[in-house]
This record gives sequence, structure tokens and C-alpha cells, in this order.
Amino acid sequence: MLRKSIRLNMNEVPYLPPQEVIEAARRSLAKLNRYADPEDLGRLRALLAGYSGVLEEHVVLGPGSDILLREVVHAFSQGRKIIVVSPSFFPTVQAAKQFATKLVSIRLSPPQFDLDINLLMDQLKEPCLVIVDNPNNPTGKILLERQAVEAMIENTGVLLVVDEAYYEFSGVTFADMVHDHPNLAVTRTMDKAFSLAGARIGYIIAGEAFGDAFSSFYAFLPQPSLYAAIEALNHPHYVRTNVQRVVEERERVWRTLNELAARVWQSSTNFLLVKTEIPEIAERLSDIGVLVQDLSNQLPSGFVRVSIGTGEENDAFIAGYVKIRETYLENL
Amino acid sequence: MKNTVGLIVNPVAGMGGSVGLKGTDGEIYKKALELGARPVTPRRTKECLSRIESKGDITLFVAPGKMGEEHVKAFDMPFTVIGEVGEETRARDTKRIAAEMVDRGIELLIFVGGDGTARDIYDAIGLRIPVVAVPSGVKVFSSVFALSARAAAKMVDAFVEGTDVTEEEVLDIDEEAFREDRLASRLYGYLLVPNVRSFLQPGKAASNVNVSSVESKKEIAAYIVEEMDQETLYLLGPGTTLKAIAGAMEVPKTLLGIDAVCGGELVGRDLNEKGILGLLERYRKRNIIVTPIGGNGFIFGRGSKQFTPEVIERVGRENIVVVGTRDKLSKLDCLRVDTGDFELDELLCGYIEVTVGNKEGMMVEVRC
Repeated sequence: MLRKSIRLNMNEVPYLPPQEVIEAARRSLAKLNRYADPEDLGRLRALLAGYSGVLEEHVVLGPGSDILLREVVHAFSQGRKIIVVSPSFFPTVQAAKQFATKLVSIRLSPPQFDLDINLLMDQLKEPCLVIVDNPNNPTGKILLERQAVEAMIENTGVLLVVDEAYYEFSGVTFADMVHDHPNLAVTRTMDKAFSLAGARIGYIIAGEAFGDAFSSFYAFLPQPSLYAAIEALNHPHYVRTNVQRVVEERERVWRTLNELAARVWQSSTNFLLVKTEIPEIAERLSDIGVLVQDLSNQLPSGFVRVSIGTGEENDAFIAGYVKIRETYLENL
Repeated sequence: MKNTVGLIVNPVAGMGGSVGLKGTDGEIYKKALELGARPVTPRRTKECLSRIESKGDITLFVAPGKMGEEHVKAFDMPFTVIGEVGEETRARDTKRIAAEMVDRGIELLIFVGGDGTARDIYDAIGLRIPVVAVPSGVKVFSSVFALSARAAAKMVDAFVEGTDVTEEEVLDIDEEAFREDRLASRLYGYLLVPNVRSFLQPGKAASNVNVSSVESKKEIAAYIVEEMDQETLYLLGPGTTLKAIAGAMEVPKTLLGIDAVCGGELVGRDLNEKGILGLLERYRKRNIIVTPIGGNGFIFGRGSKQFTPEVIERVGRENIVVVGTRDKLSKLDCLRVDTGDFELDELLCGYIEVTVGNKEGMMVEVRC
């Protein structure tokens, strides 16, 4: 029988959502011949606005935050320079490369991976769309502080989108600034801390300057996703539990890898950036059934991104890593 | 299907490592033997050959004895031995057999060795056919090498399946300096290798963005040429990206030298410092266009010594254009300079925009 791989490559949260959430999705299957009820879409929007502490009019729903980011890039690339950081959430870079008339990536240099805010500010002398994932994927690092965001959006020629896919883990958000700053938007997802990756619910909290782009953007979300999301927001306490469990495991894995002579970066997310001297570590782990994300298309060789799984999954990853390392050192 | 493959193993490559020597160039390998070093290439060769899935499709030519023949006997693969060698093998054996294999029609050459072997292969075959370089040396700094023997096997399979090829650098590492813990390197040349990024990146994220490096260079070249000013002197540094720029202008370009163009015409070829300074006297507007060396990121100080501190100072930092593929930049921590003039190096440090595509730049840190 084929063994199922342990997926530590997609930044999913390994725990199921509460039974009520699953039941809500299941119940919706009885109406699968129908599109989602617009009133219920409105309910989700209102719940997300309440959860985020913003006015409902600022919230736009979408089938995944990557789709919303792509929509933003598509709508605002004409006549604007697009600025992204590198490495970054890959679908954003992909969309920018596809639609940009001028694209500037700001490289985050190892080992610090800091974003040089002065350099970024220097780039804002013409109309720009700036997209920064905060925390950054794949470094897990917080790149933007409130002061830097304020400085950027003072310039009305700048549209700033902050991707807060991992907000629940970092606790850092600029969503509250959207009301007063029309040129700021924040994208979020229920894929991660809400344990709803399979539902694909994303949302953007957008300032007025982004309004036109989404005036005709009306997402009919799949019914199971919609009702799971509504139910999840009616029981948000489990998100805190999820985050706490993931963070505890993350710190345990971080300590263990440090002891194993791998370079591991502190993270504000549900994944860790790891650098090892063992060539093709992602492939070697895959051979023993543990999937991690190889980053050789974005960073120098040796970097992988490891999502935090259950304790058992993380133990399997660590045991696999130890075994591979021993074999590698023996053959040196 | 391309399936005629040659194999050359440098039997002494890597022997110095275990006994604390930093290479086996020249006669040093004898010292390694005296110190009890054992050959390391057999295991690397075996690991590579055993993992090639397309073995059944390959027609194999091998060097004699321990330079190839001995290693393939363990596998169920028909092969033809090319050339003869004595008990002690030399660099000239590698060069002679590699050239003969290419003349016999091989489409891919697998070689097992280190930087010294890569230079010998480059001397013998240049860019005539692609290679798969199995790392086995003490010094493996050239980006032409696969990450490991198993990666090399995948590169062979990819080539047989028809993947495209890309150029990677061969570096000349000064072994004497290396023994003194100094890394002194220069760009020696380029070899073609199968472009296997897609094999090394299995995740969903990068699945459909693997534009080949050849295409990326063409895109960069087209953009740079489109932006060129007719009255400006452009000093083109070494490298295949710069060669692509010259190609887009339909002017010849030395691969490792510095050439100059203005108004779409070649105005200087394989220039030394004196030649460059002479041109700078004649042209008021001038730019230097360079690309980083893969693997170490040097834009000045390695591979382009003709760009002396005086030349760079006279052109000015603001007139330095850096070009490079995203693929190459992704493998670098940063860009580097080592002109020999520390004050100038400091001035060159900081962020610089690298042109990575059509109207696409990347701000990358320069360190010294």
C-alpha cells in the first residue's frame, strides 16, 4: 500500500476546523444545484468586517486572496510601476510579471532579509502599486512597521497592498488604517489560521482608491465554502487555539533544528525558513515521504520552507532530517 | 531523442580533500596518495550512473580504464572505449579524449571531477556540445556543476528527454591561494549544461514560470538595445548575457573580453585598460554594462580586471548597468565588488538595479 506523504509544503494548518464548521459545509450540499444566496454572501462580508474591525463597505470577498491580489495587479498595472519584494508570495510575483508595464523587485538579502525602507521610499517618485507580504513568505519575517506604512501612504501617488495572509500568527495588521487612507488595502485569507485551506475564502480590506477595481467584482463563492466560513466566524475561539498550538510546535521545531546545525530563522507565521548544507534536502525528504517547499527558484541553494504540522508530523520531519544528515555526513 | 553520451572520469579529483590538501591540480595528487588518500570518484560515478533512468536509451562512449571503462562495467550498458591512457592519467588525456568523443558524435558529455577538470573540458570542447558535470573535486566552485551525483543523473535524463540547455560558468581557482585560505578566482569560460531547474523545483509555486535562461537573456538583450542611446559608448563586460546583447545588435562579442559599441557599431574588441581609457577620452557619454559571475556574484574584480578602478571611476557609478537573469540572481546572496581600491568598493556598495527582463528590474545589494 502506498504511504501517504506528510505535507509540510503548503503552509496549511494541520488541524481540522470544529465539527460545526464541517457540518455547515455538509448541509450546504443539499442546495448544490443553486448559487450561493447573496444575502448569505452579505452575512459573511459583515462577519469579516466585524472580525477585522472595519466597515463592511471596505470588505470584498474572493475565492482565495491570491485571486484578489491578481485582480489588484491586473486593475492597477497600467501607468504604474509595480514594486514587489523578492522573495515573495509567488502568485503575486507571477501576476506582476504578467501584467506590469514596469516591475521593480526589491531583493531581501540573506541572512537578515530586511526590507530597506529608505530604498523603497526612493522608488516612490512615480505612480506605483506596492505589494508587500507582511509577514513575508517564505522568510516568515515582519517587513513593515506602522511608521513605514504611514510614510508610504502619505504619498497619494502610491497604492499600497499589504498581504496579511498570516495575520493571526503575527498579530500585526494595518487594516485599521484603511478607513483613513484610501490608497491602502490589506488582503487576508481564511485558508491558514481558520483551518479552511480547502474552502479558499480570501478577502481584501480596501481603501476607497481601490473601490473602482472591485465595483464589478462579485464573487459567487462555492456554497460549502461560504457556509463553512460563516460558521467559522461564529466560533472564532478555535482560531486562537490553532494559533497557540502551531506556535508551540513551531518553537519546538525551531529549537530542535537549531540543535541539528541547520540555520533556522525566527518566524511570525506557521512555517519556518531553513537553510542546510545538505544538497537537495527537499527531494531527499520527499523520497522518505515528507514534503517541504524547495526554494531554489527564489533563494540560493540550501533553502527550504517547512510548514508546521501536527506534533507527530513534525517528529517525522525531524527524524527524516536527522537520518538524511547522518547519511550525508557519512558519505562526505 | 538525443542519446549519444560520453563519460570521462578524473580518477584523482577530490583525493586531496580527505587529507587536508585543497586540490589535486598538477603533481599534488602524488602527495595526496602518500598521505593515504583514496579515490572518491568511483562512488560519485557509480551513484550518478545508477540513478540515470534513461540508461536503456543511451549509446555510451567511455574513456579507458579508471577514466570511465572500469566504472560502467558494473552496469548493464553497452559501451565503446575511446582512446588510450597510461597508468597515470593527465589533464592532456582528459582534453584529448573529450575532443575525440565530440568528433565521434557524442551529443552530451558526462564528466566527473572538480574545477580543474571543468577547465580541461572547456579547453577541449568549449560550447560545441552540452555537459553534465558530476561534482567530485576538492574545489567545486564553478556553477557548471550539478548539485550532486543524483542531480547529475536527472540532468542526463532531462537531456535525453529533450530539455533545453543553458550556459554556466567555469571558474579558475588559484589552488596555491586556496591552500592559504584565500579564494582567488577568475572567470575561465562557459560550458553548456541541460537546463534542469524544473526538475529541482517540484512545488506548485514555480511550475509555470520556468522561462529558459536563454530566453531570459534574449529578453534582457532586446530591452537593453531598445534603450540604448546612439551617442553613448557602451563597454560590454564578459559573459553570455552581454554576448546576447551584442547578438541583438548584430555585432561580434568576445565571450570573456571587454568590447565596446556605439551607435550600433563595434568600436573596440577585447580591450585592455589602456584601450578602454583611450575610448573614454573620445566619448563624452559612456556606460559600463556587466553581469554578475554566477555563484559568487562579482560584478567587478573577478573576470573583468580590465575594468580597473580608474576606468570605473571615470565612467561613474550612475553609468553602470547591471544585467542578469532572475535565475542567476536567485542563487546569489548579493552582488560583490573587489576592485582592489577599497574606497571605490565602498562607493559601489549599496543597492543597484539589475535589469532582469523587459522593463523589469531587481534592486540588489552590492557588498564588498
